[in-house]
Amino acid sequence: MHLRKRMRFLTAALLVPFLITAAYSAEPAIASRVSHAGYVWRTSPVGSSAELVTLFCQGCEQAGAAGSDVPLIALLRDTLGDTKPESSRITDLWLLSYARPNIGKRMLSAVPFFYWRVGGSRGNHGVKTLAPLLDMNALQHPAANTLTQNLLQWTVLDPLSTPVRASTRAYRGNAADDERLHLQEAISYLQQAPVSTPDSPLNQLQVQTLIARLELRKSLLGGFVSADGAAKYGVSAQIRDLEIRSRDWELLREWADKTGLYFEPLDLAGTRNEYAALWIPLTGSHPASATSVAPIWKLLNLKPPSPRDLQQIPAGAVFERALDENGNLLPAGSSGARQIKLVPLGIYSLDYPKMPLLVADFRNHHHLRWRAMEQRSINEVTAGVIGISHFTNWYYYVAADLYDFVASRHGSPMNQAARLDCYSQFRARLALDRELDPTLRAEAMQRIDSLAMNPLEAAPNAEMQAASANFKALEDRAQTGQLLALVKKNRREELAAWDRTKLGAIRHELFRVLTFGAYTPEAKSSEDIVAQLAVQRRAQYQLDFLEQLARAGTPPEVQVDSNRIAASVAELESLLPAVNSDRFHLEARNTIARLRSNSEDSDLQARCERALVALYSIDEARRTVALKPTSVRLPSAE
Amino acid sequence: MNRLGLAFAAALLVLAGASAATAQPAFRRVVIVKVDGLNADLLNDTIHKRDPATGRSVLPWISRVFDQDGVVFDNFYVRGISLSAPSWSLLDTGRHTIIRGNAEFDRYTGQVYDYLNVFPFYLGYARNRAVDMPGVEVLDSAGIPLLIDRFAYAQVFQSFQLFQRGVSWTTLKDALFRSFSGQALRSVLESAAPISLSSSLSRQLETELEAGLRREQFLYLDFFTGDADHVGHATSDPQALLQVMREIDALVGRIATTIRQSPLARETLLVMVSDHGMNNTPGVISQTFNLPDLFGRSEGGGHHVVTNREQLSDYKLKGINPLVHRVITPSAQSIYLAGEASHYPTAWIDIDGNERAAVHLRNSDLNKIHILLLELSKSELTPEVRRAAADSLQAAIDKHRAAWNAEADGLRAELDELARAIETRKSVVKNLPKSDTQQHESGEDKANRRLRLELEHWEREHSAYRSYLSHLDRLLAFHPDSAKPFKGTISNLIPELTLGDNNSVGDLERYIVGPSAGGLVLTADGHLDEEKSFRRIDYFALLASQRARNNPQTNLSQRPIDFVAMALPHPQRGYWLYRDADHQLIILEDTSGRLRVQPVRDLTEDSHGVVHWQETSWCAGLPLELYEDEHLQVASEQRASWLSQWHTEQEWMRATYACHYSNAVIGIPEELSPVAPNVPGRPGISPLLLRYERRRRELVQADFHVFAADHWNFNARFPNPGGNHGSFLRISTHSVWMMAGGDLGARHIEEPYDSLNFASTVLNLLGKEPPMPDRVVTLR
Repeated sequence: MHLRKRMRFLTAALLVPFLITAAYSAEPAIASRVSHAGYVWRTSPVGSSAELVTLFCQGCEQAGAAGSDVPLIALLRDTLGDTKPESSRITDLWLLSYARPNIGKRMLSAVPFFYWRVGGSRGNHGVKTLAPLLDMNALQHPAANTLTQNLLQWTVLDPLSTPVRASTRAYRGNAADDERLHLQEAISYLQQAPVSTPDSPLNQLQVQTLIARLELRKSLLGGFVSADGAAKYGVSAQIRDLEIRSRDWELLREWADKTGLYFEPLDLAGTRNEYAALWIPLTGSHPASATSVAPIWKLLNLKPPSPRDLQQIPAGAVFERALDENGNLLPAGSSGARQIKLVPLGIYSLDYPKMPLLVADFRNHHHLRWRAMEQRSINEVTAGVIGISHFTNWYYYVAADLYDFVASRHGSPMNQAARLDCYSQFRARLALDRELDPTLRAEAMQRIDSLAMNPLEAAPNAEMQAASANFKALEDRAQTGQLLALVKKNRREELAAWDRTKLGAIRHELFRVLTFGAYTPEAKSSEDIVAQLAVQRRAQYQLDFLEQLARAGTPPEVQVDSNRIAASVAELESLLPAVNSDRFHLEARNTIARLRSNSEDSDLQARCERALVALYSIDEARRTVALKPTSVRLPSAE
Repeated sequence: MNRLGLAFAAALLVLAGASAATAQPAFRRVVIVKVDGLNADLLNDTIHKRDPATGRSVLPWISRVFDQDGVVFDNFYVRGISLSAPSWSLLDTGRHTIIRGNAEFDRYTGQVYDYLNVFPFYLGYARNRAVDMPGVEVLDSAGIPLLIDRFAYAQVFQSFQLFQRGVSWTTLKDALFRSFSGQALRSVLESAAPISLSSSLSRQLETELEAGLRREQFLYLDFFTGDADHVGHATSDPQALLQVMREIDALVGRIATTIRQSPLARETLLVMVSDHGMNNTPGVISQTFNLPDLFGRSEGGGHHVVTNREQLSDYKLKGINPLVHRVITPSAQSIYLAGEASHYPTAWIDIDGNERAAVHLRNSDLNKIHILLLELSKSELTPEVRRAAADSLQAAIDKHRAAWNAEADGLRAELDELARAIETRKSVVKNLPKSDTQQHESGEDKANRRLRLELEHWEREHSAYRSYLSHLDRLLAFHPDSAKPFKGTISNLIPELTLGDNNSVGDLERYIVGPSAGGLVLTADGHLDEEKSFRRIDYFALLASQRARNNPQTNLSQRPIDFVAMALPHPQRGYWLYRDADHQLIILEDTSGRLRVQPVRDLTEDSHGVVHWQETSWCAGLPLELYEDEHLQVASEQRASWLSQWHTEQEWMRATYACHYSNAVIGIPEELSPVAPNVPGRPGISPLLLRYERRRRELVQADFHVFAADHWNFNARFPNPGGNHGSFLRISTHSVWMMAGGDLGARHIEEPYDSLNFASTVLNLLGKEPPMPDRVVTLR
C-alpha cells in the first residue's frame, strides 16, 4: 500500500514538469490601422518604449457572428523608445485563440486510447492563463525541456510499469500534438499577415522569420537554430510551401480529370489555392483514362460512389451548379450555359507535402477518423503498452518506417505530423471563413469536428471566442503595467545573455533545466539598461550587416553602395567604445579586416583601415583599464 | 563557274572568316557558367531592379560583371525546340542539332536514348560500362566534337552536366564527405536545413573550379547549375525565382572575384549562358494534359504507350528505380492488342518535352498487316473473307516491297561494313594497354575505355538491326494462304518493340487502329472493303479537338494542344503546322535555305506520296499567330505578302524575334528537317558507316510533334506547376548569353542571334577555329 502511494506520489511529481506551463502577460489604445485582404495589423503602445502589434482577421466569421474583427496573433515589440528598426526587437508572440486546458482535460489526455475532444470550450482563458506561444528570449527552452522530458521518459517513466508508461506517453503525445496544432494555427494566421504595404509594422523578412521560429519549434533541436539560420529557413520554407501548394493543386486537378470529377479551388477565409473540393455529377462520373482509375481513387483517399449510392443521396446534399459552354464548373451562384446537379465528395488541403490531403470526406463520415485512430493506437500499443523502444527494438522501427514508405508510395498519407498541420490549418480557416456556401461549410465543420481526437483540444468556435477574451486580457495587462514589467524582464534577460558564448549558453540552459526553470539569469535592474541595450542592438545590427558582406568573400562595394558600408563601419566604430565585450570587439575587428581585404574600393579600404586603427586604440585602452591581455590577432592581410 | 572557281570562292570565304576571327580580341582561357532554364526576360528585368536597402541592383554581380562591364546579347534564342538536351547540344557543339528531344526512340530496335537520366551513367561509369553521358556518345558517333574537345584533356575542368565526359570520383567522394562533415552537421543544427548531396556536390565543384582558376593549366572551365530550371518548374512565384537568381548572382560574384585574383585574369573570358527560357507567369499554374492517356483510350487508338518514365512516378514503388528508361503503360481499351503490351506497344511518346511531345506511332500498314494476320488465324472466317483478307495482306506487303527491299539491301550492306569494323576494333581493343596513373592523368584510359564501349555498342546494334532485318526478310517472303487459317507466329513476321517506317501525312490522316466493329467487310466484287474493314483515326483532327475537362484558370485556353507539326515528305522541303481544319500553315524551305510561310487547307497526300494543299489567305488564329502579332517587324498592310515571300533566315529572325513565337519559323525546320546532312561522321569514316550513322539518327525521328498551348504541358510523370519549356513561345526560347573579360568592352547587342552563334563566337574569341565561321558574331 505504502509502495503504491509512493509510486503515485512519484508519478505525480514526475508529471509536474509536464503539467506546468508558464503564464505571462499589455496597454491598448489603438494607434494605427493597416489593412490587407481581410487581415490587418493594429499597433498600440506599451509604455513609451514598447508596443503591442496585433493581427486581426477583418470581417471574419466568429462563432456565428459574421463580419466581426477577430484578434488572432499578438506580438510584443520592444522598441527601446527608438524609431530605428535596428533598435527594436520582437520578444513575445501570443496565439490569442489559445486557452490553457483545464485540469479535467489534462487528466483525460493521460488516458491511453482516449481519442475524443471533451466539451466545446477548452478551459481557461484570460489574464491568469495567457502565456506566450513563443518567447524569443528563450527559444531554446522548449527544446531543452523536450530533451529533458524524453530523457526522463526513457530512463525513469518507461521502466516503471505499463500504466505509468502508457499514461505518461499518452499525455505527452497529446500535449505535443496540441502544441503543434497551435503552432500551425499561428503559422497559418501569420501567412496571411500583410507585409507588402509601406506602413506595415512588420516586413516580409520579419514575418518569415517568425513563421520559421514557429516551424522550428516543431523540431527537436529547432530552438537552437541561429537568427541567421532562422531567417534563411523562413525564406526557403515559404518557397517550399508554395511549391507544394501548386503541385498539389495540379495533381488534384489531373486526378479529377482522370476520374471524371469536377475540381473546384476554394478560397477559405481570404486564402488562395490552399484548398479544393471535388464534386461528382449526380448522374455519376465518366472516367477519361486508358488505364484503371482505381489507383487514382486510392490516391484521392475516396471510395468511388456507385450510381446506386448517388441515387440515395438526400436532396439537401445535392447542389445545383452551373457549367460554362466548355463544360467547366462556374463559381457558386453564377449562371452558365447549363445547370448540373453535383454532390460534394471531399475537401482537400493542398499543403500536405506529398499530395493533396483529404480533410473532409462528405460521403464517409468515419473513415478519416478511423484511420487516424488506427495509426495512433498502433503507436500507443507499441510504445506505451508493450514498451517497444527505439534503442533496443530498432528493427521494429526500421520495419515500421519501411512500411510507411511503401504505403506512402501507394498514396497513403502516413506523415502524422504533416497531417496534423493540415488539419489544424483547415479548422482555423474554416472557423474564420464566410465565403464558402453555408451548407457546405456547416457540413465541412461537422467533418472536421469528427477528426478531433485530442482531449486537450478545444472546438474552433470556442477558440475564436477565447481569442477576443484573451486579447482583452492582454489589453488589461498592458493597462495594469504587467506587460511593461514583462518588457523590462525581457530586457534584463537579453542583457544577461548578450555576451554569452555557445558553451556558456549550453551551461546556463543546463542549470535552468536542473533547477526546473528557477535559474534564469537576469542582468541587474539599472537606469541605463535601455541605453545599454540600444547600443548593443545597434552594434549587433551593424556587425551582422558587415559580417554578411564579409562572408561572401567578394568585394562588398559591388553588393552594397560603398557609402552605406562606410556609414555602417563608422557607426560600429562609434558604438564600440560603449560595448563591453571582448568577443564582440574581436568579431568586429575581424569582420572589418576581412571587408578591407575583400574590397577593391580604395576609399572603403581607407575607411576600414581607419576603423581598425581606432578599434585597436579602443581595445588597447580597454585592456589597460582592465589589465586583461587579449589574444586578438588580425589576419595577415592587414 | 568551273570547279577551280568554286574552290577559289570557297577559299576566299574561309579566309574572310579567318580574318574576322583574327580581328577578335584573343583570350587564352574561358570560364562558362551554364545555367539551365534561365529566362532572359526575367533575368534582364531583375537586373534592372534596384534594392533600396543596398543602393544596387538586386543582382549586383550580374549587373556589374555583364550588364555594365560586359557584352550582353539582349536577343539570344534557342534554335529549334527549347529543351535541354537539344539546346545544350547546339551550344556545346556550335553545329546543327542531331539530338532533337530529351528522349529519343529507335524505330527499328526500340533503343531508348535517354539524355537526361544521369543515374545509369554514374552506375555505368563505376562499372566501367560507360565513360560519357549518352548525348556525348551520340555526338561522338556522329563525329561532332564538343567545345571541350578543342582543348587538351589536362586543360579542361568540366562540371557535372548533360554533355559530360567522364566522372570525377574524387569530386563525388569529397562532396559526400562534405555532406557529413562537422561543418555540415553544425550547419544542420544552426540552420535546421540538412545539406543535400546535390548541394554538397555543387559546393565541391565550385571549390574545385576556384582551385582550377588559380592554376594556369586549365584553359576551359565550366560550372553547370540546374537550380533555376528546377525552381522554375516547381513554382512561378516571383520570390522563389528571385531567390534562385540571387544564388546564381552570388556564384557569378565568387567566380568573377577568383578570376580577377588569378594569374590569367586579363586573358580570361567569362561567359554566362542558358539553354532555354521558362514559361513562368506569376499567379498561373501550368496544367498538364495527359497525352499518353489520350493515345491509350479507344478514341485515341487504344495504344499501349511507351514513355521513358513512369507516369505519376511518385506514387509507385517502381517509380524509385532510377535506371528505368522505358515504361510501357498498357491500355485497358486496346482494340486488337489486348494483353500484348509488353510485345507490341504501338505509341512511343517523348513527354520529357513539357510543352512539346514527340509522337512515334507504329507504321499504319504494319498495324494493318498485324490485324489481317490475326484475322487470318481465325478458323471461323468464311472462304470469301479469308481470300479477300489474304489478298489485302499480300497487297499491303507488295505496296512496300520495293522500298523495303531497298531498305533491307542498304541496311545489310551497312551492317556488313559494321561487322568488319567490329572485327578491326576487336583486335585494337585486345592490344590496348592496361590503365596506369600516367594514362589516367592524360585521359588516355578514358579514350581506351571509349573504344571498348563503342565496340560493345556496335555489337549490340548489329544484333538488333540484324534481327529487324531478318523479320523484314521473312515478311517480304511471306505469302498468305487464302485457303487455310494462318498458323504461324506473328512475332516472326512483325518484330516486337519496333515501329517500322515513319508514317506519312496520309497514314496519320487515316491511321489504322484496329479492325472495324463489324469485322472484315467485303465489297460487292469480293475484295476487302478497306474503308469499312478497319477503324481509322485522323490524328490531326483528333488532337485539335481535345478540350480541357477541368480548367479553373480562365486565362488558360480550353484547347490544351496548340498545334501539331510534321515534316512533309521528300523531296518537298516543307513543314506542316496544323491547328485545326481552318488554321494551318506550311513553312517551305528552298535549296539556298530561304524560308517562306503560307496558310493552307485541305492538305492531302496522293498515292505517290506527294502532298498537295490549297493556299488560303492570311488571317488571325493561324499557328504561330504571326499575322496578328504586334511585335512582327513588318508593316500591317504588307504582312500577308511579306510572310508568304522567300526570306533569308536572318530576315526572318529580325522580323519575328520579338513575336509571341519568336524564331519558330527558323526553329521548326531546325527541329524537323532531315537529320542525316547534319551528321558529318568521324574523319576518315567509310561511306557505308557514315550512311549507317546517318540512318540511325533518321530512325529516331518522330512522326509528329505536338505543342502545348500557353501554360499547358505534357509532363505526365509529375506535375510541373510552375513554368515549362519545349515550345517555340518566346518566353521559352529567349535565353541568356553574356560575356565579360579582357578588352571585350561593355555593350548590349540588340541584333537577334540563336544557339548556333554561341560556340563559334566563343571559340573565335579564344583564337580557335569556329565550327561555323559564318556564325561568328563580330564583337569589335
